[in-house]
Amino acid sequence: MLPLEHLQTSLARSVLAMEPPIAATLLTAGKADPLARLRIYQNNTRSSLTAVLMAVFPVTVRLVDERFFRYAASEFIRRHPPAESRLARYGAGFPRFLKSIDTLSDMPIVAETARLEWAIAEALDAAWLPPRSLGDYENIELGTSPDVLVQPSLRLIVSHWSILSVWSAHQQGAEADRHSAWARRAERVALWRAGDSIRLVQLDRANFAFLHSLKHGLGLEHAISRALALDPSFDLVSALVRLFGDGLVTDVRIPIHPLAN
Amino acid sequence: MSRAFQPLTIPASAGIGLRSPHISEMLSRRPSAGWLEVHAENYMGDGAGVEALERLRQIYPLSVHGVGLSLGSARGVDRDHLERLRKVCERFQPDLVSEHLAWSVADGAYLNDLLPLRYDEEALAKVARNVETVQDTLKRQVLIENLSAYIAFADSSMNEAEFLVELVARTGCGLLLDVNNVQVSAHNLQFNAKTFIDALPAASIGEIHLAGHAINQVGADTVLIDDHGSRVPPVVWALYQHAIERLGPRPTLIEWDTDVPVLDVLLGEAMWADMLTASIMFSRKQAARGQQTTHARATPICLSVEGETTTSMPVLAAFAAARAARPSTPLALPSLEEEYHAAA
Repeated sequence: MLPLEHLQTSLARSVLAMEPPIAATLLTAGKADPLARLRIYQNNTRSSLTAVLMAVFPVTVRLVDERFFRYAASEFIRRHPPAESRLARYGAGFPRFLKSIDTLSDMPIVAETARLEWAIAEALDAAWLPPRSLGDYENIELGTSPDVLVQPSLRLIVSHWSILSVWSAHQQGAEADRHSAWARRAERVALWRAGDSIRLVQLDRANFAFLHSLKHGLGLEHAISRALALDPSFDLVSALVRLFGDGLVTDVRIPIHPLAN
Repeated sequence: MSRAFQPLTIPASAGIGLRSPHISEMLSRRPSAGWLEVHAENYMGDGAGVEALERLRQIYPLSVHGVGLSLGSARGVDRDHLERLRKVCERFQPDLVSEHLAWSVADGAYLNDLLPLRYDEEALAKVARNVETVQDTLKRQVLIENLSAYIAFADSSMNEAEFLVELVARTGCGLLLDVNNVQVSAHNLQFNAKTFIDALPAASIGEIHLAGHAINQVGADTVLIDDHGSRVPPVVWALYQHAIERLGPRPTLIEWDTDVPVLDVLLGEAMWADMLTASIMFSRKQAARGQQTTHARATPICLSVEGETTTSMPVLAAFAAARAARPSTPLALPSLEEEYHAAA
């Protein structure tokens, strides 16, 4: 008799269709064929995980059409099943998987849009902290290079392709044209969770670098110098007003151990 | 962020499984619902749903139902996942916590489905160890749910009910009796559903689940699929009635996971469960009184089960099931009546 662990391993591989089905003699199913019943588990796993991916990547589904997406998803599930039961984390590797599919080599926008949708999924699962206002710091001495802490849900994505334009074209109310909406045009996107929805904005290089430095805890001084290096006309006051106005700042404080550039 | 909630005890009446399409309506309408149950894995992040559940927890008693701990895994439970479950319990302070007698993780993969165990001494020792680990970590008793299954193992040396009885004895865990799962497995694997329910230790059953299932025809095989995608069917109401007659009122959850209907449909199903329980307990009380007097009483009108299935009305199904299976000889079970009054 197989030890329990071997039995479970072999059954799991059968369910994921990674190997030929487990020996029918090990199973019973009343009067039915046990291997036919085993297919119920295969279908449950594939269809439920496909549904998870379709919920996370709705625009990607529309870019490639549903049948192709289901095919790609079932291959992804078979080769890269979830490693844990927290399914909010499942799908991180799907954009890279799409990039590796030959059929999609002339449609790089598909994997890139999937990358944006994964960032949205991550943001939706991240905490929202009470935002601070500029007025909170009116009479507080913050030194020359304070740390500016931003919302944990902030995600920054840069692509060579027009991902935000494509994503926006597929939102409710927008007239989607899945063939003409994408172009080779760099787009830099910041997105974050606001309540139960997501806000997305397109940024120029300087503002993107500014937010990138803040998100990675490099401090305001570093953020300003990176932005100015990319665009000498970078407007710090406007950037700060927008940052607070968008509710992205969760704290401003004097660094305990100032980071070197 | 962890806050202190007022303890809210789950009553021995019906509640509903909280599903994301209903969250905003639950918050704005605050409908009368005995209690709520959530899947633990949906609240392990920090999204908007978590914030909403913190608000709902102030209003409704809560049960946390795990679906991904894989208590049946030969390699033991994932300690990281268990820690996440502990944090969910710490955050929401539920009155009940439950998981399944199943495995879903093997060979490093999570299958997102609940697979049956080979019921033998090896599995029992491993599941008992896993349940003890969970109870020690959470510092509380957990309820273990029976499974809906499509296959079983030829080398099992006991059945699922015998396995659960022994698991309770070894670990002190409670049981979550999923009546729909009993019906699904009993049909698919050809055993008697009522015998299964009767074999479980009544005192250990701390919760009941009710749901609908699909009926699929694959060649000559009619298989019941546990899809939680429809109303509770008459056959499950009848089995629920059998359970309540034996157990007395228990916290009873309406589960609905696919093709989730409007909130009022779920609340309606919960109401039918409460009405059926009330009807059973009322009949029992009448029967107990009848034993003490010699007066003849009018016999209630008895609807046939066939009659009401055509109406698709669960309330009729519930009442008919209660009446059709009315005990022919009065039973006196005073301890259960006491429980009912305490809960009412």
